[in-house]
Amino acid sequence: MSMVKILFYVMATVAVFSGLYVAASKNLVRSIFMFFVTLLALAGLYVIALADFVAITQIVIYVGGILVLILFAFMLSGKETLEAVQQQKDRFISLSKLPSVLLALLFFAVMAYVFYNSGADNLTWTKQAVQTGQVIKANESLIENIGVNLMTRYLLPFEAISILLLLALVGAAHLSRKEQQA
Amino acid sequence: MNFYLLYIAIAVGLFAFAAFFALFGVYAERKVSAYIQDRLGPTETGKFGTLQTLADILKMIQKELIIPAKADKWLFLLAPVIIFVAVYMGFAAMPWAPGLVPSKINIGLYYVFAIISIETLGILMAGWGSNNKYSILGAMRSAAQIISYEIPAGFAIISAVMIAQSLSLQDIATQQGILSAEKIKFLGFWEVTNTGGILSWNIFRAPHLLVAFVIYFIASLAESNRAPFDIPEAESELVAGFHTEYSGLSFAFVFLAEYSMMFLVSMIGVVLFLGAWNTPLPNMSVLKLADWTTNAWWGIIWIALKTLALVGVQMWIRWTLPRLRVDQLMNLCWKVLTPLAFLCMLVSGVWRLWLM
Repeated sequence: MSMVKILFYVMATVAVFSGLYVAASKNLVRSIFMFFVTLLALAGLYVIALADFVAITQIVIYVGGILVLILFAFMLSGKETLEAVQQQKDRFISLSKLPSVLLALLFFAVMAYVFYNSGADNLTWTKQAVQTGQVIKANESLIENIGVNLMTRYLLPFEAISILLLLALVGAAHLSRKEQQA
Repeated sequence: MNFYLLYIAIAVGLFAFAAFFALFGVYAERKVSAYIQDRLGPTETGKFGTLQTLADILKMIQKELIIPAKADKWLFLLAPVIIFVAVYMGFAAMPWAPGLVPSKINIGLYYVFAIISIETLGILMAGWGSNNKYSILGAMRSAAQIISYEIPAGFAIISAVMIAQSLSLQDIATQQGILSAEKIKFLGFWEVTNTGGILSWNIFRAPHLLVAFVIYFIASLAESNRAPFDIPEAESELVAGFHTEYSGLSFAFVFLAEYSMMFLVSMIGVVLFLGAWNTPLPNMSVLKLADWTTNAWWGIIWIALKTLALVGVQMWIRWTLPRLRVDQLMNLCWKVLTPLAFLCMLVSGVWRLWLM
């Protein structure tokens, strides 16, 4: 087995098991920190898929931003609420879990269906790309490509997202402002 | 197989360097603070007290590792390691000399920026794991501060990247001296591609980067929790902040991380703004000073000297300025540094389009 394959299996295993721990653990804070391990393993998988920009962006946004935000919300909320959450009755098989089980099974079925019917090893468009030399090699820089595409082909979605973020910012500023005496 | 051995050797070498620098840094900090406060500092152990930090670390290694009874054992023990590893991994992409960089990746700068942000998580982990009010307050202050100051730092970095047009730290370094492949203009009008020296550093290629550099430097002080931004460990209010409960080896790791962080952020500043490993001496007609002082060995010397000078400034500031209050801290970040950093980014765009 090549080094890349070994790394892939190691990181995939880490991602799966840490993800299971996140979902199953009773200790909420620990599961948040375990989520960090999951994210790192996923970032490693992205790097193997030659998407190093995505890998690092994931670390910046999820680890540096979202995880810290979750922890903040966690630490600022009262202990009683958290204990109520932690002491939920939790049996392995219960009716309240039915929707999530259904959803997971359906999702798995869709993925399996796509996997068996697409024939990922011999798609026509990938073969064409290899023949015409339109491929990105491991040592090439991907950022220019991403930048050019964001500013040309995907300009409208890009701008729409930035308006959405601006709206969120305005909303947050409005919520946190002191009420003026009428 | 030699391939992997080399990787391991480099990793070990960088760790040894970080540890050595922390030892040297603590000694220097004590001497500098002593000089500023008109004291003598360590004098007894070794000549001029040079062995003092070595003695300290020997004592620290022997100390008992105390874990508070109510602490979350795993989080408590892992946190210092994560804090240190986050900083240590950042060194992987730093260029030391022409052709001498542990990992020449295309998005090196972005990588370093991402890896540093993991430190916040480690600090929160330490605060929560200790199960101590002071620790958790310190950790939250630290996280709030680091997240806020990442914004001006990020925009200052972007304005330098817009001039350099690359995220690879080695490429950014090469551009600022006589080895550059593209034309360099001093202040946008005088071509200095073959003159090199201090004239071709980024802060002189585009003078607004001087402002960006100051913004970056202030923000980097906040990100490494150094005074005047050390409210996370404000002794008068919080005992010792997020590392109140730590003792022995885990405390040593927290300290190691702080000093490595000082070196790392200074080094990023040097690479982006102050010419990286390029010599400050320009070529002058027959005196080819820049040609003579540009190679692998000189590169290491220059970058180490510049970085140590910046670390020295960090220490100087720490022992000169009083600590900022929380609201002053946030005012400075959001109302002064962030708009200025935005302005720098704007000027960078104009500069790149019309003057380069």
